[in-house]
Amino acid sequence: MKSVVRLISFFRMTFSLCLVAGSLGILGGLFLVFYVAGDLPKLPSPLSRIIETPQSLVYASTGQVLMGLGERKAVPLEMVSKNFLNAIVATEDHRFFEHHGINKLRTLKALYITLFEPGRVQGASTITQQLAKNLFFSFEQSWQRKFKEMLVALQIEAANTKEQILNAYINQIYFGAGAQGIEKASQIFFGKSSLELNLAEASLLAGLPKSPTRYNPFRYYERALKRREVVLERMVATGVISSLDAQKAAAAYPELHRGRKDARSGSYFLDALMKELIQTYGEDVVFHGGIRVYTTLDTRLQSFARDAVKQGLERLDGLMGLSSNENSLKENSLNENDSVTIDRPQGSLVAIDTGSGAIKAMVGGRDYYTSEFNRAVDSRRQAGSGFKPFVYYTAFQKLGVHPGTIMTDKPVAIKVAGAKDWEPQNFERSYRGNMILKSGLTQSVNTIAAQLVAMTGPSAVTALAKACGVKSPLENVYSVALGTPLVSPLDMAGAFCVFANLGIKHDPFLFWRVEDAFGRVLFERIVLSKKVLDPALAFQVVDMMKAVVDTGSGRSIRGLGFQGPAAGKTGTTDNYKDAWFTGFTPSLCVSVWTGFDKNKRLKSKKGTGITGGMGAAPIWADFMINAMKGEPERDFSVPNNIRFEAVDPSTGCAPEPDGPVLLVPLKTGQVICGEAVQ
Amino acid sequence: MIQKWYDPFTAGEWAKRTFSFFNLGLLIFTVAFGASEFRFDWCEKLVGTYLLATNDLRPETGALWETGRQTSNAHKSLNRIITQREDSRRSVRNADSFYHLVESLGLGEWVTLEKENFKRLYLSLAPRIGRQLIEPSHLVWLLNGNITDRIFCEGMTDGVSLYFIDSRNRVIRQIDLKKNTIGEIQSRNAPVSGSLTEIEAFSGRIYPAEKFFEAMLKLPVEIIPELMVDPELLLKQEGTIQSVGIWNEADGGYIKLGFEFFHRGENRVLLIQAREWAVWQLSLILKGDVQ
Repeated sequence: MKSVVRLISFFRMTFSLCLVAGSLGILGGLFLVFYVAGDLPKLPSPLSRIIETPQSLVYASTGQVLMGLGERKAVPLEMVSKNFLNAIVATEDHRFFEHHGINKLRTLKALYITLFEPGRVQGASTITQQLAKNLFFSFEQSWQRKFKEMLVALQIEAANTKEQILNAYINQIYFGAGAQGIEKASQIFFGKSSLELNLAEASLLAGLPKSPTRYNPFRYYERALKRREVVLERMVATGVISSLDAQKAAAAYPELHRGRKDARSGSYFLDALMKELIQTYGEDVVFHGGIRVYTTLDTRLQSFARDAVKQGLERLDGLMGLSSNENSLKENSLNENDSVTIDRPQGSLVAIDTGSGAIKAMVGGRDYYTSEFNRAVDSRRQAGSGFKPFVYYTAFQKLGVHPGTIMTDKPVAIKVAGAKDWEPQNFERSYRGNMILKSGLTQSVNTIAAQLVAMTGPSAVTALAKACGVKSPLENVYSVALGTPLVSPLDMAGAFCVFANLGIKHDPFLFWRVEDAFGRVLFERIVLSKKVLDPALAFQVVDMMKAVVDTGSGRSIRGLGFQGPAAGKTGTTDNYKDAWFTGFTPSLCVSVWTGFDKNKRLKSKKGTGITGGMGAAPIWADFMINAMKGEPERDFSVPNNIRFEAVDPSTGCAPEPDGPVLLVPLKTGQVICGEAVQ
Repeated sequence: MIQKWYDPFTAGEWAKRTFSFFNLGLLIFTVAFGASEFRFDWCEKLVGTYLLATNDLRPETGALWETGRQTSNAHKSLNRIITQREDSRRSVRNADSFYHLVESLGLGEWVTLEKENFKRLYLSLAPRIGRQLIEPSHLVWLLNGNITDRIFCEGMTDGVSLYFIDSRNRVIRQIDLKKNTIGEIQSRNAPVSGSLTEIEAFSGRIYPAEKFFEAMLKLPVEIIPELMVDPELLLKQEGTIQSVGIWNEADGGYIKLGFEFFHRGENRVLLIQAREWAVWQLSLILKGDVQ
């Protein structure tokens, strides 16, 4: 009896408590609704207003649309494949047509997990809630945000039909790769309208909104297919397709729209472009102004550049003994913790049209999706011997020397005020005695460059580099002779263009023209030429740099098959942390850098250092071979006041019969066999 | 367990109290309340309807409205840029002199100038002044030689730069018009109040108009145009020429001549440029060295 009484008392007490708690809950809920309601955002009417955003378009110089900003191609439900609608509803919210904005059971379950399992946050968003979140709220995880999102979802449901809600949802969800809305996603990934999507394609797309980057099929095709299996399972579970249909769809490998993938590869370029446009016009105009930007990017060259850097770095991996199988993330893994961290060298490339300064191609790293840091523009590294052309030009200008002037490769000690003498070493740690300056640059002799800087002063060299367009800050130190200044590949390409143009400077730029949505011109680039170098002296340096490519440290370029007229200079820093090659033809100037982001050396598996000639020059050659294909071959023009004379490279005088001979360009008034410079 | 005075004494009493009408009704109501919400979603509908009714009272906040505001800001910025450009273009098109053109463009503003407009402005200058800007023969090549596509004007801190550009937007010729220079050129075309005697540079070289013109007419006919490079300027002036002065130094092959006009009780001086060698010939006659 006593136990029955106790039981009844307990139930009565519990029931009473539940009643009180429930009543308090209702009162609390009502209070919260009234309290929070004042803060809730106003809903637009009709809901379709959410997709009325003007689109800014970015065009390549070749006419293709590279990117649309804020673009939403809205389509009515009738114009979307039923396969996709079924797939997205089954995956995201299979009770969408039954609930009134909230899936209560899922919400209670999520609430329980959130409250009683610390560290876990369970999502239970319906399609309407997701729409509310995407339209009005940040992605911050908090119960306040969640509560507000629920209330807005209730209002959306009260004001719109299920079809209107679904229509708004599918037109604004993000699928990755710049695709907002199903129509654009369909065009980007499959090159077809959303009405034409078959089950295999539709289920693939329906899986993407969960994590557009992780499941990006352009990058992780296998992973995207695995996610598709989940979608198909949900479709079978909800009865919208049969198991047989699911199996057939799972067996299909939809073909992706390749052209769009290529277009996205210009992202380093686009990032740099966006940065500049935002600086000029502000974010609102760029992203919401519906402007048209006509860039300098040549998609053909960009594609060659991307391939050259990719293949060059793979070759470098091989040279360094880094296995090609060890990817940074295991391909079939859905877990980010499965990543294998392998430190691989990075690379970057900038190609500039010498005639205008237009940047035709830009690759800022190994893979944009892995690292968005743009090494072509934002990375500043020591240029190594790549800086020597500035040293030689300064010497020609200030000291009156020329490529045939004799100097001695010998141990040197340069006095530095307030510090111990600077004693630069040659790369090979040996000395070759007398040689003409042309040989000095071709063989990249450090002691000769150091002697020249000691005579001209480092400030003259840095002033020249700046005049040629190097924008990075440069220190006036003697070691400028060996390329200690930190510069970017864009700096190097832009400055070497001045040599290619025999002294005429064009500032590098990313876009030709900006228009508003009605075609009214906001900005137009004019190509202003500025003479900054003496053409004859610049030609003398170019001639020496030609010898670098033909017989010097960059001769690997000829070995790799690039036979057109070209000049350039390799650069390797003392500790093999950077390997450069910057070179040009009369029409295109290209700078390539390779190295690690971290403080690490480029060493082959045998332990030897990797130079600019081994690391960067092959990428340059690979790119140039493709870029110059079909272009008329023309050599650098020779200024009228230049004549060529044969000299003995070790005496600087007329060569002995059967002795070694080098042709050197001399300016009017310059003579060979003058006094040696000490 | 202690029996409380209000506790029932029998099981039947317990059952009666537990399953009373009130208790059962309350239980049924509570269950029905909960079940009806799960079945009909009336709570969601009620809240949704309430929120819908108060929609207009709520703020336009959140990502969507922010986007709308950004779009509106973007349009305002773009319209401002375009309006400014249109205004500059209109001013430049209506400019009746290079000075007005320079005045029309602020720093960083630019417009495209039609070739015809440039020709009009250039031809409005006296030939000698025009030559200082650009040699006419070069201009003929630039404007009529099918190499210039457009002329691009850009406002600078101290004037404007005119870029003659080809169809590939390459600059083939640049002319910098400094505000001060243009101002000076323009002011040379306008007479200033005063007399030649007040200008130190003419001291000792002021001649009565009659004597000056008599001497000038003694010069060979091919020299006279070099002495009066811009006769139109003199013809435009009102009043009579009283005297003429010769400046005491040459500048770029030219020497200034000052013509003092008298009109309605006021003396004004107009400066014009003359070729140095022609002035030298004239001076010989004026000094009587040559008859």
